[in-house]
Amino acid sequence: MIHLTRRALRTMKNSSALLSLILFAAAPQASAADGKLVIEAGKIVTLTGEVIEDGKIVIVDGRITAVGKDVDAPWDADVLDASDLVAYPGFVEAITSGGMDRSNENVDIAPFLDVRDSIDPVNVTFENYLRSGITTINVQQGSGCVIGARGHIVKPFGRTVEEMSVKPRAGMVLSASPKRGKSRATQAQALRGAFTGLKRYLEDTVAAAKAGDDYAKREAMYQGREPDEETMKGRDLDCSAWKVEGMKLVPRWEIDEKQAPLVSLVEGKIPAFIYCGGAMDVRVAIEIAESNGFLHKTTLVVSGDCDRAASWIAERGIPVIITGSLTRSEINEETDEMEDVFIPKAYADAGVRFALRSANSTTQSLAYQAARCVSHGMSREDAMRAISVTPAEILGVAKRVGTLTAGMDGNVVLYSADPFSVDGVVQRVVIEGEAVYDRATDSRVRHLEEGIAPDNTEQVDPRAREYAGDGEGDDGDAGEED
Amino acid sequence: MRKLSIRAPFVISALLASAWSPVTAAPSGDAVVIRAGEVIVRPGEVMKDVDVLVIDGVIRRVAAEIEAPEGARELSGAVVCAGFLDPWSVLGINATDVSFTSVTPSTRTADAIDPFGQEFQKKQALEAGVTAVRVQASHRALVSGLSSVMSLAPNGDEGLIASDETALGASIGLTDPSSGGSSFAMGADGSFTLVESGPTPMDPFERISQVDKIVGLLEAGVAYRVSQNAYAVDLKEWEEAIAEKVKELEKDFKKAKKDRDKEIEEAKEKGKEFKEERYKEDKAPKAPKYDADKEVFARVANGELPLVVEVHRTAELRNLLEATAKFNRLRMVIAGGTEAAPFAKQLAARNISVIVNPSPMGEGAFDEFDGHDVSLAATLAEEEVTVLIGSGGRSAGASRDLSLLAALAIGGGLEREHALAAITSGPAKVFGLTSHGAVEFGKQADLLILDGQPLSTTTSVQAVLVDGRVVVEPKK
Repeated sequence: MIHLTRRALRTMKNSSALLSLILFAAAPQASAADGKLVIEAGKIVTLTGEVIEDGKIVIVDGRITAVGKDVDAPWDADVLDASDLVAYPGFVEAITSGGMDRSNENVDIAPFLDVRDSIDPVNVTFENYLRSGITTINVQQGSGCVIGARGHIVKPFGRTVEEMSVKPRAGMVLSASPKRGKSRATQAQALRGAFTGLKRYLEDTVAAAKAGDDYAKREAMYQGREPDEETMKGRDLDCSAWKVEGMKLVPRWEIDEKQAPLVSLVEGKIPAFIYCGGAMDVRVAIEIAESNGFLHKTTLVVSGDCDRAASWIAERGIPVIITGSLTRSEINEETDEMEDVFIPKAYADAGVRFALRSANSTTQSLAYQAARCVSHGMSREDAMRAISVTPAEILGVAKRVGTLTAGMDGNVVLYSADPFSVDGVVQRVVIEGEAVYDRATDSRVRHLEEGIAPDNTEQVDPRAREYAGDGEGDDGDAGEED
Repeated sequence: MRKLSIRAPFVISALLASAWSPVTAAPSGDAVVIRAGEVIVRPGEVMKDVDVLVIDGVIRRVAAEIEAPEGARELSGAVVCAGFLDPWSVLGINATDVSFTSVTPSTRTADAIDPFGQEFQKKQALEAGVTAVRVQASHRALVSGLSSVMSLAPNGDEGLIASDETALGASIGLTDPSSGGSSFAMGADGSFTLVESGPTPMDPFERISQVDKIVGLLEAGVAYRVSQNAYAVDLKEWEEAIAEKVKELEKDFKKAKKDRDKEIEEAKEKGKEFKEERYKEDKAPKAPKYDADKEVFARVANGELPLVVEVHRTAELRNLLEATAKFNRLRMVIAGGTEAAPFAKQLAARNISVIVNPSPMGEGAFDEFDGHDVSLAATLAEEEVTVLIGSGGRSAGASRDLSLLAALAIGGGLEREHALAAITSGPAKVFGLTSHGAVEFGKQADLLILDGQPLSTTTSVQAVLVDGRVVVEPKK
């Protein structure tokens, strides 16, 4: 059905000059006829350990049907000639609060809200994601919360959130580090209070339902009729940490919309992303998740010196998403000397699975962050996994994205060279079988590289502008979260 | 925290075993044997030339010539005593939480503990023999929330918190360090001079009103508990009445059914609509709304949780003692008590302990302790007030000097035994830490090996064990 809609829209695009004006810069460059596309790539890196020289990727109806050197392609498929390019699976952004009209809510506990109502499809963030080969994005509320709104996994292409949608209601953010106006202790108090409040609410609801049923029975007896048949309307609470007896009496749709998302959380039905700003937050985050039965669905979103708690995290077997700076300095107590810690390596050494995040003061590229891992002595495989397979697993979409294999979504990024090298740039991007980006026609890139401004804009040579600082010390990371 | 109840069967079997033969077949686990010239079981109770056997973090035996189990580590020293417990500290608390004041009674200091912070201060305190601290964040708030007891050498995250809700903290009349400041004063010639003023002490009336506020909160806690109990009673009555009613209804059901059938028939004959008879019963009582903060004060007023009030001046002390006299279950502890000496008899009679901070004078001393007399601890102890010694709950580094503070109190006339009790068995008893504070069977093995008598300035700590693990290695 989504497919049909998209085709209908495509027809509209082609016929309407007016509509084409509102398309964003990276408009579709080629359309797969009847949803069939063959990418003929100079090299295919599947990220399953296989590298195919001069191979083909066949995508039918948005899904990859075959990858290999000698695979049959439908005779009527469109062909994307990428013989001088390297194909990678589209990269996965494990978490971001970019692309929304604002990243945080004032309310402490807001899981009854949904980020889909805040995602702005024409936000330039999505265009930049496309430009840097990121095709799956987990949009969540920022860290300024106690429990945030429900998140949404999207792809960076489409004019409505529905078109962009990969997975709705994709978990929620919790924060163990204090939001504005709170201390560590009061933040933890609010966090814990949300769950004790939930338990109390459920118990009260059950008690009310039971009282109502009992009353109905007595009324029937008094009036001389048989009591109404008891119907099992609800089901037991499936929480491994605590129980509420009698949940069968309460149909799920009767649960308050402010509490219902928390029920999904304690039942382990949706992932939890817990922000930890420093190592001390890890203890609280783990305790909250453990005592409410969702530790196995928890990913810690770590920054600062959280890696000092890496062994605690490893013990629980939960993954992390590394945000903020990838390095930090600490004083070695024995030598009294300043030492640099490369954070991803600290996690890897402790045996913690980690995903990287694109946000950086100079680029919005996951490949760049992964390349830094390689430059600090980590293996290419580990670095690549941190921006593809691991985030896909964390988001619960590992069966759809992260590698180039049959059955996966047709998300392919075509690089001019090794993505970890300086001259490896994203030339083409294919999302679900549609070629949605071509660097050759990217007006912003042309503006930057050749000084040619997009149509209908003032011609300004960017190189002629006055130098206004290189952004160093501006703390580019902090801007996004807070 | 280890539970004593688990060990109970052990007591019997160990006693039986020791009656027959010296313990030879020791249980497996990490074992340590300390050969001591002297073991201070608890202040005032000394055993000469004995050994201490520790297995799995617990003291299993204190006796002469214990045979070391296979693989056990053997240590020796002149004196062995229990690790020091600072009953009034902020060591290991995130700095922001220490000064933060927008907290409620149910805010837990346990949540402000930074297991990775202040490593240097923790190490120094540990080397000075302090093995655990009672920490209270937000000490400047009228009600500071729930304090915890934290181990200074936990094994990972296990054993970090020995007690997460140890006491409720409160404070009266503390000077706000950010008060005061600078202003311009106009001189006779029309020129302006900058006048700097230090923090201003709290207005006396405000200090007294703080006492009233705490009493008000205690009363609200009592009322909350009363309403809960009343609800339980009402609910039981209602349930019994309803059960009675159900019996009746069951008995009358056949008749009711017959009547109903008849009425339906009649209604049909008359062409009228049948109406069910209206059922009436007493409404169920309504449960009081849960309130976490009132619940804390209910526990405090009922003596389930001690209330530690930091208070220094005579006026507030007198008012506080008078106003709280009616709460006969309240377990109050005074922290600071700079001018508490005149109230010693009353404090002893009401079993109110005092955590004294024998603060050194001079640079860095805390305002509230101005006028502190080093003989305060001795004066109170003479009147049989339980005296504890703490580092003042303001600076993380202060816990290191706990034994020196105790020595200072000894200099002020406090008996040595009292001083040692004030930082070992005393805090353990007042704050209900049943497995701390003594060197005897069943206690957690937080032990110090010293080269002389504790609290002497010439004695140094040779080695420290926490939970049976050697965390400060023997010197030499």
